[in-house]
Amino acid sequence: MNKWFKSGSPWIWMTAGAVSISLISVIGLLLLIAWRGLVYFWPSNIYEFSLELNKTPVTVIGEVYDREEVPTSRLQGVGTDISGFQGNIIERFLIKTGNREYVDLDFRWILATDIKSKTAHADLVKIERNKNGNFYGYIEGVIENGKTIKDKSKYEALESVIDRAVELSDEMMDIQNGEIGSINYKLEELRLEERSYELKGKLTAEIIAELNAERKTLQADYLVLEKQLMALRADSQRDTVLVKDMRGEVVSIPVYQVLDAQFPNDMNVFEKAIQFIVQIGKFISEDPREANTEGGVFPAIFGTVFMVLLMAIIVTPFGVIAAIYLHEYAAKNAITKIVRISVINLAGVPSIVYGVFGLGFFVYMLGGNIDALFYPEAQPSPTFGTPGVIWSALTLAILTLPVVIVSTEEGLSRIPTALRQGSLALGATKAETLWRIVIPMASPAIMTGLILAVARAAGEVAPLMLVGVVKMAPTLPLDGNFPFVHLDRKFMHLGFHIYDVGFQSPNVEAARPLVYATAFLLVSVIVTLNLTAIGIRNHLREKYKSLEH
Amino acid sequence: MISVAPDIAKVTNAIDPSELTPELTALEMKNLSLHYGSKQALYNIDMKIPKGKVTAFIGPSGCGKSTLLRCINRMNDLVDICRVDGAIELEGKNIYDKDVDVASLRQNVGMVFQRPNPFPKSIYENVVYGLRIQGNNDKRILDETVEKSLRKAALWDEVKDRLHDSAFGLSGGQQQRLVIARAIAIEPKVLLLDEPTSALDPISTLTIEELINDLKEAYTVVIVTHNMQQAARVSNYAAFMFMGELIEYSDTNKLFTAPSIKKTEDYITGRYG
Repeated sequence: MNKWFKSGSPWIWMTAGAVSISLISVIGLLLLIAWRGLVYFWPSNIYEFSLELNKTPVTVIGEVYDREEVPTSRLQGVGTDISGFQGNIIERFLIKTGNREYVDLDFRWILATDIKSKTAHADLVKIERNKNGNFYGYIEGVIENGKTIKDKSKYEALESVIDRAVELSDEMMDIQNGEIGSINYKLEELRLEERSYELKGKLTAEIIAELNAERKTLQADYLVLEKQLMALRADSQRDTVLVKDMRGEVVSIPVYQVLDAQFPNDMNVFEKAIQFIVQIGKFISEDPREANTEGGVFPAIFGTVFMVLLMAIIVTPFGVIAAIYLHEYAAKNAITKIVRISVINLAGVPSIVYGVFGLGFFVYMLGGNIDALFYPEAQPSPTFGTPGVIWSALTLAILTLPVVIVSTEEGLSRIPTALRQGSLALGATKAETLWRIVIPMASPAIMTGLILAVARAAGEVAPLMLVGVVKMAPTLPLDGNFPFVHLDRKFMHLGFHIYDVGFQSPNVEAARPLVYATAFLLVSVIVTLNLTAIGIRNHLREKYKSLEH
Repeated sequence: MISVAPDIAKVTNAIDPSELTPELTALEMKNLSLHYGSKQALYNIDMKIPKGKVTAFIGPSGCGKSTLLRCINRMNDLVDICRVDGAIELEGKNIYDKDVDVASLRQNVGMVFQRPNPFPKSIYENVVYGLRIQGNNDKRILDETVEKSLRKAALWDEVKDRLHDSAFGLSGGQQQRLVIARAIAIEPKVLLLDEPTSALDPISTLTIEELINDLKEAYTVVIVTHNMQQAARVSNYAAFMFMGELIEYSDTNKLFTAPSIKKTEDYITGRYG
């Protein structure tokens, strides 16, 4: 036994065990998030349940969302009638019934003992709508252009009317967000221009006339567009779908509310797989709907990546320059040591503290002063003196600055003295040596710092809630209106989206899979950013691998 | 042991270095002392280094021969606690004067180190590094310089087909010749070699020694070596240093065959060191 201890085997077992546990937990975590998130996109069957509650037959139509086993004592405790059931444990199902406007809750628990039959009819339809969530039922008929179709061709008609409505609504969206948005932006610019002339006391009648003329043309354009929009809207309201719901009533749903209609019970595995990919694509590329509980997360992905890249652009030069001064130029004395220790300790400050600092210093002080100096015409509404993407990027840049400084310094200290001297001996000055030899050779270390910074910044949420993230941003920080990049705008972030959807949404049950899906997406985004950076670093390493000599 | 015909070392009637006229002198050290903090490393050194010849510094480890060499291109400036007194005159101008630009001094006094230190760049870029530093980016001139320098460093035939490959693909001996080519590409007046073959195998050493022989046609070469056979083979003049002092300095032949000081004799006959 003593020999066994001396041989070091227990030590090897212990260390290997620690590695295994870490690996298992990381992989387990990723698998859990991926599984729970991705199942959401798989089209699951719709069932019609025949129940008997208090001797009256009830029909429930919906997707099985969850199942659990409950002790009978607990059910009796809340007064549920389970007489006639023997045993201690009873199974129950959570059914997503949809049809939010006609039933109390779009989710309900049913007990396994109450179920008399469960069937998955091929003609059960799941209708995705742009408000009030999904609708489940049977297609009764389609009213296309005033003509009611109730025979077999109703399914083809359904497809064609939905395609038409989606096309029209895309067109309306384009007009609304693109052209009308741009007109509104220009009108606001004109208002600000007028206000700025007024503040300078240079608002002459000529200028007013000029501005009014411009305004008039814009308004004329607007009226044309509005007319178009109205026409499209009226056109899109032409058709209606008749659906029989689980109460047995026929409900008419206007087609312009319908985004998609599917018959999952009628699909084979391949069709489901295609649908799965289509749904993931929609999740990644579409805007959120209904208080973020439905639809996609594109603005959040865009906001996260945009903010992180902006942060990287800010933090890299600052961190590298600071590290170069500390390592190359600063005298090697106590003050430098104190500065270095302070920098390292900055990494330990809780992120929310940076958020408070960012709000106080960047938003109120810096932003407030920028507004006072450069945007007096917009007062009292703030331009930069309010949380925005630039302040978020700056706050996170300070947060990640220590990481970049420390790794850059480490990289600088690994450059062999022989190479520096070789360059100096050829008549290069210290600055030239730095630019031509030292910094290129330290670039893999700089990239390492950047990788760590990006990993940390992309996952931070707390400080962002103070300096720029919002639940729903109407516009992206990048669009077609001059100057194209709007650093003052608020943005959406995947991390905050998870928090918002999971804990602040009106329909937590419906949003839960979205939380997993968004979390999985956030991890994927961070991994993608990191892999890109690691790829660049490996390329640089390959280029400058001389340290092994 | 390698036997190079020491024809250079057998120059008879060589001028005694202390009697060198200014025209024949490349460098002159006047009462040069050097301190590292409170520790003195060089004591009042006076010597004249002849132009167009190879001068070797020999002596036991820690005797100050490398330190003295590094004084000539002011590499010791990089050490914070280092202080130099006295003067080194390069063509009559003290290189320790306040108005001397260290970078341009180093363009005139090239240096090759103990271990090959090519930059992580291509062979071509290594050679033209000094020219690029001087702001010379004319491709025609660069190409010419690369060929000329590599030929002088006896490396051209080996690398002419892979000039744009990484310098790290070369062997140790080739790297050292590349570093020499890099140093002579900027046409220095003086070339300092700090134990240039101590990290190399015998064959590479031989090539470098032959190269040093050729180089003295165009440059004043100062070499530090702890290998006495090497000093005897390649140098015209030799200086023996001990404990930071210059003990004896004369033409190589005389120093090795008839040293006038007992310490020198003890050292070259291997009694200590």
